[in-house]
Amino acid sequence: MLQFDILGFLASWGTFLGIYAILSISLNLEVGFTGMANFGKVAFYAIGAYLGAIISTYTILAIHNISSPPYTTEGIIALGRYGGENPALTVGLFVLSLIIGFIVAGVVGYLLTYPTLRVGPAFLGITLLSFGELLRIFLQNYEPVGKTNGIAGIPHPFVWVANTALRDWLYVIVVLGILAIVYLYAQRVVNSPFGRVLKAIRDDETAALCMGKHVPRTKATVLFIGSGFAGVAGVLMAFYLSSVNPNMFVTTVTFNIWAMVILGGLANNKGAILGAGIVTFVDRILTFVTPNLGITAITPDYMRWMVVGLLIVLVLMFLPKGLIPEKPIDTPVWKAVRKLLKEEVNGE
Amino acid sequence: MINPNQILTMVHIGLIYMVLAVPLTLSYKTTKIINFVHINFITYGAYMAVFLYSVIGLKNVFVAAVAAFLLGGMMAVIDNVFVFEPLRRRGANVVILMIASLGLWIFYKYFLYSVVDAASRVIKVNLVSQLIRFENFPSLYVGGYVVKGSLLMTILFSFLLMGLLYIILQKTAIGKAIRAISDNPGLAEISGIPRSKVLNFMWFLAGGIASIGGMLWITYAIATPEVGDTLILQIFAIAVIGGLNSLLWTSVGAFIIAAAETIGMALLNQYFGVPTSFKPFITFSTLLTVIIAFPPLGAGGGLPYRFIKKRRGEK
Amino acid sequence: MRNILEVKDVAKHFGGVKALDGVTLEIPEKGVIGLIGPNGSGKTTLFNVISGFYIPTRGEVWYNGERIDGLNPNEVFLKGIVRTFQIPRLFNSLTLLENVILTPPHQEGERILKAPIKSAWEKQEIQLAEKAVYLLKKFGLADLIDAKVSELSAAHMKMVETVRGLITDARLYLLDEPAAGVAYTTARELFSFITKLREEEGLAFFIIEHRLEVLMDFVDYVYVLHNGKLLSQGKPDEVINDPKVIEAYLGG
Repeated sequence: MLQFDILGFLASWGTFLGIYAILSISLNLEVGFTGMANFGKVAFYAIGAYLGAIISTYTILAIHNISSPPYTTEGIIALGRYGGENPALTVGLFVLSLIIGFIVAGVVGYLLTYPTLRVGPAFLGITLLSFGELLRIFLQNYEPVGKTNGIAGIPHPFVWVANTALRDWLYVIVVLGILAIVYLYAQRVVNSPFGRVLKAIRDDETAALCMGKHVPRTKATVLFIGSGFAGVAGVLMAFYLSSVNPNMFVTTVTFNIWAMVILGGLANNKGAILGAGIVTFVDRILTFVTPNLGITAITPDYMRWMVVGLLIVLVLMFLPKGLIPEKPIDTPVWKAVRKLLKEEVNGE
Repeated sequence: MINPNQILTMVHIGLIYMVLAVPLTLSYKTTKIINFVHINFITYGAYMAVFLYSVIGLKNVFVAAVAAFLLGGMMAVIDNVFVFEPLRRRGANVVILMIASLGLWIFYKYFLYSVVDAASRVIKVNLVSQLIRFENFPSLYVGGYVVKGSLLMTILFSFLLMGLLYIILQKTAIGKAIRAISDNPGLAEISGIPRSKVLNFMWFLAGGIASIGGMLWITYAIATPEVGDTLILQIFAIAVIGGLNSLLWTSVGAFIIAAAETIGMALLNQYFGVPTSFKPFITFSTLLTVIIAFPPLGAGGGLPYRFIKKRRGEK
Repeated sequence: MRNILEVKDVAKHFGGVKALDGVTLEIPEKGVIGLIGPNGSGKTTLFNVISGFYIPTRGEVWYNGERIDGLNPNEVFLKGIVRTFQIPRLFNSLTLLENVILTPPHQEGERILKAPIKSAWEKQEIQLAEKAVYLLKKFGLADLIDAKVSELSAAHMKMVETVRGLITDARLYLLDEPAAGVAYTTARELFSFITKLREEEGLAFFIIEHRLEVLMDFVDYVYVLHNGKLLSQGKPDEVINDPKVIEAYLGG
C-alpha cells in the first residue's frame, strides 16, 4: 500500500517551491529581463546559505562558551541542546542571517560585474560559472566551514515549537511570505522606467548606451538584486535543512533554476514561480514516492534529468516564450496616452 | 625540482587538451555558439571506446577511433540539423542557442548514465569506472623512463588529426568555405556558399575530433560518464587563451594549461604546500584571469570596456 | 555663427593601421554638413570617435565649447549628440512609444531606489508621454504608437530614431547613411525633413552618405575623407568637380 503523507508532502513542496521560486525570480530578472546569462547563480545561493550557517551556529556556540566547531560531533550535539533554549535568539539569528545574506551576496554580485563587463554577454555566464566552482572548491578546503562535511546543527527558527508539523508549517508561511515580498518587488521594478531600460539593454546593449543609459551600472544593480535574493534563498534553505555542505552547491543547481525559468517563461515573474512550482513538484513527488516503487530499470534521478534537459530544448523550440509569455511593461503611460488621443479625437 | 616524468605527463595531457580544445575554438568561431554538447562529444567518444573494449571485446584502437569519430561527428550534425538550425531560423540569438545546447547536454549526459548503468548490470562489469589499455602501442623505455604506449598513441593521433584539420582548412574548398564563414559571415553569405552543408561538415569535424580526444583521455585516466564535465573548464580556458579565434593559440594554450596543471601544481605543492585537490582552483583562476585581463577580442563582443579604465584604448 | 562641433587633428590608430590620420573639421550651429568618401576611408571611425566609442590616438573633439573626446558613449549622448546607425537600432521588445520615452535622460523612474515606488515617477512619466505623443503626431506617426517596432517600414524606423533625438535637447545629429535602404523619393523626403528640422528647431546635422545624388542637394558643405585624411572640402558643387575626389571614388 502506498504510504503517502499528503500534509508532509505539501509542507515540503511549499518550502522548496518558495525557495526555488525566489531563485527563479532572481535569475529571471537577470536573464529574462536584462539578457545577462548568469550561470553562477548557485554561488550566491551558497554565500547566503553558508553565512546563515556560520552566523547562527558560531553565535550559539560562542554564547555557551563551547569551543567545538559546528562541524564536529560535539559541536553539533551542543547545538542540538542549546539551539532551542532562547526562542528570541534563534529567531533573531534567523532574521539577521537573512539580512546579512542578502547584503553580502548582493555586494559580491555587484562587485563581480565590473571585471566581467569586459568579456561580453556570452562569457558572463562562463565567468560566473567558474566563480561558482571556485567558491565551492574553496569551501571544500576551508577548515572553519567544515570542509567537505560542511556545517550541521543549524537551529531551525521554530525549533522551540513543540509540534513538528506546526514547526514545518510556520516555516512554509515564512518562506512564502518572503516569496511574496520578492515577487511584489520584482513586479514593481520591472513595470517601471527602470524595467524599460532593462529590456532595452537586453535587446541592444550598444544602442542603449548610445541613448545615454549607463549600461554597466544598470547591470551591476540588477546583479546586486538578483544575487541578494539568491542569498536570501540560501539562508532559507540552510535553516530548513539545518545543515550546509559544498555538495549542495554544484553547478547542476544553477541549471535546475535555468530550467525553471525557461519552462515558466523568460521575462515573466509569474512564469518564474510556475516553472519553479512544476520542477519542485516533480522533484518532491519522486522523493516521496520512489521508496515505495522499488528499484526500476532506470534510476529515477537520471530519468528526471533527462526529462529536464529534453524539456529545455523542447520548450525553446516550440514554446519559446515558455508557458507564460512575456507581458508588456505596465506603467501609467498607456492610460495617459489613450486619454490624450481620445481627447484629440473628441476635441476635433 | 621538475623531473622528466612530469614533463612527459605535461606533453601527454597537453596533446589531448589540444585535440579537445581546437574543435571547440573552431565551432565557436564559425557559429558563435558556446556549445555545451562539446562536453558530450568527449564523454561519448570515451564511452564508445569503453563499449568496444569492455563490452564487445574489440581492443583495436584504430577501430575505436573511427567509431568514436563517427559517433561524435553524427551527434554534432544531428544537433545542428534538428535543434540549432531550426532555432536560428526562428530568429534565436546565440544566448538562446547556448541554452538549448545546455538542455541537450543535460539530456545526453543522463542518457549515457542510464545506458551505462543498465549495461553494467547486464554484463556485470562496472562501466562507470573503467580503465582502457589498448594493446596496439607498446611502451618504450628511454633512458630509464617509461614512455607509455598511450602517450605514443596520443602523439600519433594528435599529429594526424591536427595535420588533417590543417590540410582541410587550408587546402580544400570546403575548408576555405568554413574559414570564410568564420572570418566574414556577411560576405560569405553573399558569395553563395552553401551555408548549411558547410556548417554541417564543420560540426562533423568538430564533434568527431573532440570524440577521439575523449578516447585518448581515457587511455590516460579512468573513464566515467563525467569525463567530459571534468575536462570542460580546462578546455574552455584553453580555447579562451586562443581568443576563441586562433587555432594556433588554442594549441599553445593547451600546453600552457597542461603545464600549469602538472608542473605548476607540483611546484605549488612542493614549495607552498598547496594540496592537490586545489588543482581545479588553478584552472579556474587561470581561466578567469585570462578572460578578464585579455577579453576575447571580437569574440565576446563586450562593451567598450573603457568604463573600467579610462584612457586605455580601443574597443 | 558658432561651431557646435570641432574636430581638431584627430587621429585613430589600430596597431599599425591608421584609420584616421589627422582630421580637422567644424560643424557650425544649424549646419547640415556632409561627410563622404570611398569605403574604408574612415568615416564611421570618425563618428565612433566623436560619439565616444573610441578614444582618439591624437587630437581633440570639442562640442559646444566643451571637450568631449574620451567620454563614454552614454556621456556623449547626455551632452547633446545623437548618433544613428546605418541599420536603425530600435528596441524590438518595446513599442514605438516606449522606444521614444526611453530616451530622455534623468528619469526618476530609472533610478533603482525610486523605481518600485510609482508615485515617485508617475508624473514625470506622463509628462514625457505627452511630449512624445506631441512629437509623434507632428511627424504623422501617432497611429503607430502601439506598433511593434519590428513591423515598421525602414522609413518609419528612421523617423522614430529622429523623434527619439527630438525629445531630448540634442543639438547635433550624427547620421550614418540615413538614405540607405530606402527608395529615392523617400530619401529625398528624409532629407527635406532634415532641412525642416534645421530651420524650425535649429539643429545641426553631420551626415555620412554614399548616395551623393540625394545628399548634394541638401547640404551646405561637404568634407571628403580618403585613407583617414581629409582629401577635399567645400560646397557641394566644388567638391563634386574636384578631380582628386573623382579619382578617389573611381580608384577606390
